[in-house]
Amino acid sequence: MARRIPIIVCFVFGLFMLVQFFVPHGLSGAAYETVLDWMQIVFVFTLLVGAVSYAKLNAKKVSRKETGWGYNTIGLVGLGVMVILGLWKGTGEGTPFLWMFNNVQAPMQSTMFALLAFFVASAAYRGFRARSWEAGVLLVVAIVVMLGRVPLGNLISQWIPDAANWILRTPSMAAKRGIYIGIGLGTISTSLRIILGIERTYLGGK
Amino acid sequence: MSRQLIFVLIALSVAIPLVIKIGLPNEVTSEVMQVYEEIDRLGPGSVVLVSFDHEASSLPEVKPMAQAILRHCFAKRLKVIGLALLAEGTAIGEQILRETADEYEAEYGRDYVFLGFRPQFQAAILGMGEDIRRVFPEDYSNTPLIRLPIMRKVRDYRDIALIISVTDGDMPVWWVDYAVSRYHKGLAVAATAVMATSFYPFLSSGQMIGLLGGLKGAAEYEMLIEKPGMGQKGMDAQSVCHLVIILLVIAGNVGYFMRK
Repeated sequence: MARRIPIIVCFVFGLFMLVQFFVPHGLSGAAYETVLDWMQIVFVFTLLVGAVSYAKLNAKKVSRKETGWGYNTIGLVGLGVMVILGLWKGTGEGTPFLWMFNNVQAPMQSTMFALLAFFVASAAYRGFRARSWEAGVLLVVAIVVMLGRVPLGNLISQWIPDAANWILRTPSMAAKRGIYIGIGLGTISTSLRIILGIERTYLGGK
Repeated sequence: MSRQLIFVLIALSVAIPLVIKIGLPNEVTSEVMQVYEEIDRLGPGSVVLVSFDHEASSLPEVKPMAQAILRHCFAKRLKVIGLALLAEGTAIGEQILRETADEYEAEYGRDYVFLGFRPQFQAAILGMGEDIRRVFPEDYSNTPLIRLPIMRKVRDYRDIALIISVTDGDMPVWWVDYAVSRYHKGLAVAATAVMATSFYPFLSSGQMIGLLGGLKGAAEYEMLIEKPGMGQKGMDAQSVCHLVIILLVIAGNVGYFMRK
């Protein structure tokens, strides 16, 4: 029963959302809006599950003093502080929550993202080698696109940005389009498998 | 070459051009021009929906793009509805929108509004196609939308002239799937450079009307609206940084072939 009910719910709502798209009736629209409301409500509860799971996992590591437990402590403190600040004064303008977000979280995340430039440069110097003909082509293309996407390319020659734009708009786009078509077909087949109850891994267990 | 030396080179290549202006010539690409022309052809009072679909990490790249587009919107006296479909974009989006609106003395509630964040973006995008007030009954500061003059004539996508997604991920694909395909709405995208290439198929198919790609996109847009900002300032730094990385790659390959 524990598995059958979710499969039935999935089938009914999956089929409803599919059929509803083609039924422009008012009743169908009202039911559709209710389903959308419920999707958001259910999602909020999954966020709660995620937060509790995060807290439990980190608390376990801290209590067992596993490797890096100090970082887990910081994570837990961060989670707790933000929840308390949010509940205490809200999350709007001028609140401690927003101050923490603007002055702690945002700069830290931007810093982590900015560090990528250093590692990319170091990795490119060490690993980006023309070891084969294909790797050589990749290397030349990368250099053309890197130059063509900054004003320096225009300064050297108009040919460079033109070539970079051609690479992005033709071979790169063709590859991306192929990937997207593959993803689309995969999504359709997986969705049908889930709606029809063939694919059940999302239920967990064996 | 040691890793430390590479790090120093990269740091200097970014920092020096930010302090000493080089002023390299930039050129506007067609995909940025398309966004500009689409917004430029809208009449005063037209409603534009700007969705801040990004996290805090990409702020230095997305903020110049968002600012440039919003400056154009407010200069054209368009009405702007801001929202966020990723939690971290909420506070950032609200700040960018408020700061830019203040530059043009736009009035909150009449000229612009910020709706805040809604989880489960698929349901939010689809829901706004039916009734925006059902998805966002109140704005970010808990004022019922019905009390805001800007929202009185806006019910769903039919009342919105253009959707703009400011993003560091693949959210525009969801906008295409649910707002463009189902409700036939125009979508412009301002994406980080690393994500921009993913959207060319949608540009080519006409499902996106235009695209700003990273700091370069911001710089190009700033040129079009003749309001220099962080985009143009960052172009020199990005150019020099790219050049340093290219030289490092060439040096690495020269060393590799010499050893071989």
